Amino acid sequence: MKVSLLPNCFLIAALLLVGPGCDAPVESFPDNDVYALTLAHSRDVPTEAASRDVSSVIEELFGTPNQPRWPSELMDPDLRISEQNLTRAAGPQLSEKDGTHLGLFREHCVTCHALSGSGAGPASVFQNPYPRDFRPGVYKWKSTQRDAKPTRDDLTKLLQHGVAGSGMPSFSLIDPDDLDALVDYIVYLSVRGETERELMAAAIDELGYGEDSIDDDARLVTQGELVTQGETDGAAVIREVVEEVSNQWASAESEVVPVPAWEELSGETLAASVNRGKELFHGPIANCVGCHGKGGQGQAVTLDYDDWTKEYSTRLGLTPTDRDAMRPFKKAGALTPRLAKPRKLTLGVYRGGGDTDSLYRRITQGIAGSPMPAVAVVEQEDGTGLTSDQIFDLIRYVQSLGPQSTVPQSEFNYQSSTP
Amino acid sequence: MTAVNSSDEIAPSRMLHRLTVLIVCLVWPLIWVGGLVTTYDAGMSVPDWPGTYGYNLFLYPYKTWLFGPFDLFIEHGHRLLGAVVGFVAIGIVIAAFWKENRRWVRWLCVALLLMVIAQGALGGVRVVLSDRTLAMVHGCFGPAFFAICVILAVVTGRRWRQDSDAERLRSSTSILTPTKKLAALAISLVVLSYVQLLLGAMMRHVQPTTSAGHFAGIVSTHILTAFFLWAMTGLVWLRLRRCGDLTLSRPGGILIFLVAVQIALGIGTWVVNYGWPSFMTWVPGSQSFLVQAKGFVDSMIVTGHVATGSLILAVSAMLCVRLFHRRWQAKQDRLVAT
Repeated sequence: MKVSLLPNCFLIAALLLVGPGCDAPVESFPDNDVYALTLAHSRDVPTEAASRDVSSVIEELFGTPNQPRWPSELMDPDLRISEQNLTRAAGPQLSEKDGTHLGLFREHCVTCHALSGSGAGPASVFQNPYPRDFRPGVYKWKSTQRDAKPTRDDLTKLLQHGVAGSGMPSFSLIDPDDLDALVDYIVYLSVRGETERELMAAAIDELGYGEDSIDDDARLVTQGELVTQGETDGAAVIREVVEEVSNQWASAESEVVPVPAWEELSGETLAASVNRGKELFHGPIANCVGCHGKGGQGQAVTLDYDDWTKEYSTRLGLTPTDRDAMRPFKKAGALTPRLAKPRKLTLGVYRGGGDTDSLYRRITQGIAGSPMPAVAVVEQEDGTGLTSDQIFDLIRYVQSLGPQSTVPQSEFNYQSSTP
Repeated sequence: MTAVNSSDEIAPSRMLHRLTVLIVCLVWPLIWVGGLVTTYDAGMSVPDWPGTYGYNLFLYPYKTWLFGPFDLFIEHGHRLLGAVVGFVAIGIVIAAFWKENRRWVRWLCVALLLMVIAQGALGGVRVVLSDRTLAMVHGCFGPAFFAICVILAVVTGRRWRQDSDAERLRSSTSILTPTKKLAALAISLVVLSYVQLLLGAMMRHVQPTTSAGHFAGIVSTHILTAFFLWAMTGLVWLRLRRCGDLTLSRPGGILIFLVAVQIALGIGTWVVNYGWPSFMTWVPGSQSFLVQAKGFVDSMIVTGHVATGSLILAVSAMLCVRLFHRRWQAKQDRLVAT
């Protein structure tokens, strides 16, 4: 390569002027200080020692934002995460000669979801709902049981479709390989974050980190091979926690909620189904009206919060609107709790998808992390749940509420009582 | 030394003026392409500098450039256009020392050349160090350079020379003599326009480690300053609208329009990046709006916001320079009269 003198002189001059670069260093993931504070409140013990040791263990197991590591030796083999994908998604933004993008997470996600996936990124306070905190491993939009993890397919579809009416974009124009790498990285951040949380809780609850002195055997240090061999109590806990978290992710495919066969209706049969659905919507068993309001207009008054913010407020006996009580958590990086607003169904916008299968799963499982409850599925009408046919009636009614709906409106569609 | 320069003393230099107009016409597209580079996160698509993948900048295979990945197309294109601007800047300096007899104009031309070199070097260091903050500095320096280009085009223009003609000035008694307040307002317009550019650049090149509170502070200041700037453009226009000089009143009116467009583009930029804000859910369709990552129209809105910011700075600078020139002329006039 030919070296031109003049531009290089300018380059050297400019380098001298600007020094070694001005970017804030991204050397390690920030610790989960909010959860440490939550534990300190709920257990009434100091958590500094646990935070410190967990932090070093997590970094040894999972690496750094620039050099992620996947501890495959501890992971469920069914949880196939490509280390190559992690490397592509992590680190600073770069692109190669063939147009391949590197640093995908920082290119597409970090401004909202933050470096560690805490959901408290720079632009998070302007989002409603807040961007997802990946670290508790709880996801709203999925095809699996309420308590289960989402499948890879769920996460890929979410990235492709985005979440209408929120800040979550559709990445349908992004290369599918990039999305695949991002899915791997989201699972990685989730597993890393859950492991961090579980280890911190285990350190306090099982290993005595809240006490004055900690037994050497109970210390959370990986000590290389000891983690896999489980030779100390601390190492055994690390192994158990990582295996448990990874097993949950690996078993997501087997937790997919099956949707019974349903029939496309039209004409009078459809109208009758919609009418039955309307009765169920406003009835005592499903009681959708309690939150979504009459006719799904979203005008009911609700005073509930999502699980992510409840964890450091109501579940600790603190009032979310009490600024003094919330201040230490906000200082630690928590977002101000906001009321979870039930969907205004008349908009016809369903954030997790409005197709029949998705709505069936949403009604029968509820929405994880939100106050939306599940409706029990029963074989026969017994007053405790709905039969699958009734659920499909309810779905047809809900689908009829949107402005673009091709499903006929119910004859007795409720109107808002206010003008 | 005579108090007033006559048009004869300032020798006309058409070549210099044409070159300055050419550089203005090149730099605004350059800012657009540079904006696109950031919008598409293509800044690091060519990891070496000053060459492109080992090739001399001008010898890089054009087929690979034109038909290769889009990132490479815009980044290499940005470099080539930047180099062309550099050559024009060299031409400006030569023309200035050859034809221009105002010393301060000559040195302004030299400053322009130094700025384009510094801007190129900043871009290069940003690539070599892969540094986002330097990308921000590079992004902020570009509009300042553009404003200087516009000022040079103004001061080398025919109109400026005509304004320097004391006879003409004396004949047009109805022309406004800008007050100190108006001059201060014009300076404030330039300063605020640039502050807005800096705030916008801080949002655009936000660091992954930036706290939510810090970012919220930048956003709020950016929004408030935008409306304050808009009000100021209205105030300036009110003072200039019947001043009798279209070279002052027109840019004043244009600024109101540009800042209005810029505010609309700013809202659009936010929406295509983060969706509609909570306080604007009354807008029809806002609650069903889906953000599309890397959409073409979305990218154009964002880049348009960047480019319009530069245009506002340049027009403010042009207005400011003309106002100060007018004040200077009035002062010279008074000296002649006494």
